[in-house]
Amino acid sequence: MQAQDILASLEKAVITGNKADSVKFAKESLDKGIKALDAIDKGLVKGMTIVGDKYAKHEYFLPQVLLAANAMYGGLDVLLPHIPKEDAGKKVVGVIGVIEGDVHDIGKNIVKTMLTAGGLDMHDFGKDVPIENFVNSVKNDKANLIAMSTLMTPTMDGMKAVVDGLVENGDRMKVRIIIGGAPTSQPFADDIGADMHAINAQEAVKKVKGAI
Amino acid sequence: MADTMNHIERAMASLQDKPVDRLCAYPLAMGVCRRLVGDGSMTYKEWVSDPKKFAAAFIEGQKYFNFDFAIGLMDLSVAAGDLGATVRMDEQNTPFVTDPAFNTPEDYEKVHIPPANKGRSGILVEGTKLFVDALGKDVITAGFLEGPLLTLTQAAHAEKIFMDMYNNKSAVHKALKSITEYNSEMVKAMAKTKCAGLVWDYLWGSYSCLGDAEYEEFEGQYARKLNELVVKEGMALCIHNCADLPHLDTQIKQFKPVIYSMAHYPLIPGSPSPKEAIDKGYADNCLLAGQIDPQGFIRWSQEKMQKTTMNLIQEVKTSLCARGLHSRYVISSGCEVPPALTTRMENIKECMDTTVKYGQMKC
Repeated sequence: MQAQDILASLEKAVITGNKADSVKFAKESLDKGIKALDAIDKGLVKGMTIVGDKYAKHEYFLPQVLLAANAMYGGLDVLLPHIPKEDAGKKVVGVIGVIEGDVHDIGKNIVKTMLTAGGLDMHDFGKDVPIENFVNSVKNDKANLIAMSTLMTPTMDGMKAVVDGLVENGDRMKVRIIIGGAPTSQPFADDIGADMHAINAQEAVKKVKGAI
Repeated sequence: MADTMNHIERAMASLQDKPVDRLCAYPLAMGVCRRLVGDGSMTYKEWVSDPKKFAAAFIEGQKYFNFDFAIGLMDLSVAAGDLGATVRMDEQNTPFVTDPAFNTPEDYEKVHIPPANKGRSGILVEGTKLFVDALGKDVITAGFLEGPLLTLTQAAHAEKIFMDMYNNKSAVHKALKSITEYNSEMVKAMAKTKCAGLVWDYLWGSYSCLGDAEYEEFEGQYARKLNELVVKEGMALCIHNCADLPHLDTQIKQFKPVIYSMAHYPLIPGSPSPKEAIDKGYADNCLLAGQIDPQGFIRWSQEKMQKTTMNLIQEVKTSLCARGLHSRYVISSGCEVPPALTTRMENIKECMDTTVKYGQMKC
C-alpha cells in the first residue's frame, strides 16, 4: 500500500467510525515510514474534519460523531508516542472538563475531539471537575486554554469561581478561557470574565484558533 | 385586565383553540417552588425525597403564582436511580447520576424493571396524587415521566448507548423494551392519581443528536406504544422537549400530543422560534408552550422579564392571528425554571402578571 492510500484509509476509518481500521492503518503508516504527525494531520484529522462538517450539515448525528471520535483516538493512541518531543512541545495545551456539580459530558467530549483534531494538545479533566483543578491548570498542566462546560444552571457559578481563582493566583493573563453548554451564553461569559463562548464544537475550534 | 375565565376554562378553551380571555401562562416552575413551603428552607434533596414535600411545592406555587397548569416534573434521574444507577443528591442541586446502572451490552440485556410504587418512582407517583387531589379542581394537572431512551441514557453512559446503537443494536433494544415495560407500569400508576394529562420528556428527539431514522428506531417505536397507552388510560398526551432542534414533525404531527412544550435557542441556526413554530403549522392541532429563556428567571431584572414576556405575547398573538388561530399557545419557559436558590421568584410572578395584563387575544 502506498503512503497516499494509507492516509486515505486512516481518513476513511474515522469517517466510518471504524476503530479497528484506524489502529491498523496507524500502525501501517509507521511501518511504512510515514511521519506520525503527517498520519495524524493528513489521515485522522482530515477524516474528523469531514465528520465535523457532516455533523454541522445534519448529515451525521451524535452516534456517528462519537464512533468517529472513538476511531480517531484509537489511531492517536498509536501515533502520538511517535511524535518527536520537539514537535509535541510546540502544541498549544488545553484543559477541558465539565464543571463541578455536573456530569453531562457528551458535548464536552465532542468539543475535545474537534479541538484535538484542530491541533491542540487537549488534557481531559472529565466531568464533575473540582474548581481547583481548573484554577491550578496553568501551573500543573501548562495550560494555554481552559475549556469548561455545564448543562446544569446551579453549577454555572463554578465557572466564575474558576475565573476568580485564576485572577487570585495570578494566572488569568496566561490563559484563554472558553465556556459552553446549553445555559451559557456570550453575555454570561462576559459577566464572569471568560474570553469566549461557543454554541457548538465547530464554533469552539474557530474561536480558539482565532484567539491563540 | 382582570381574568374572566378560570384556569380550567382557559386551558380547555386553548386546547380546543377557542377564544380565551387571555393566553395561558405556566413558567415551568417546579423544584423552585419548594422555597415557598413553610419557612423556605426546604432543600432540593428533601423535596425529591418526600411525596408530601414534593406536592406541597406545587400547592404553594399555585397559591403564590396562580398558574394555569400544574405539571409534576421532579428530575430526570428518578427512573435511572430505581434502575440501579447511583444518583448524587446534593442539597440544592438537581440530582444526577454519578455511577450508571449499566456499563456493558450484557448489562443492557439484564435490565430489571423497578416497581412503580417503590423508590423515587413511588415518591413521584404518590406526590403527584397529592397535588392532583389538592389542585385538580382548579387547574389542569399532569404527571411527568422520562421517555424510554432518555431513561436508558440516564441509567447507562449516554455515549456508550449512542455508539452501541451501531455496535450492539440488539442489546440496546432489549434494554429499551424493558424500560418501556417499566414506563407502561408508571403510566398506569399515574392514571390512578387522576391527573388529567401525562407529559413525556422525549429529549433525544433532536437533530443535534439523532436523525429521523435513528430516532424512530430507538425511541419512536417505543414512544408510540406509550403514547397510545396514555390515551387508553384516560390521560391527555403531552410532550416536553427542550432540545435545540426538536423533531417537530414526528413529535407533534405524528405523535399528536395535545400540549407540546419546547425551548428556543436563538444562537443555534434552525432552532424554531415561537413565530416559526406557529407559522409552520405546529400549533394548528396542538397547544404549544414556551419559549422564554429559563436563564432569564435568574439573571434578568424584573423589567427585562416583563419586556421579554410582552414581546413573546406580541409575537405569539401576531402569528396565531395570521394563522387563523385563537389561543393555542402557553406563555412559558422553554425548560424548567432553574430550581436554584438564586432564581428570582419575582421574575416568575412578573411573567404571570404580564400575561394576565397583556395576554388578551383579539385578532
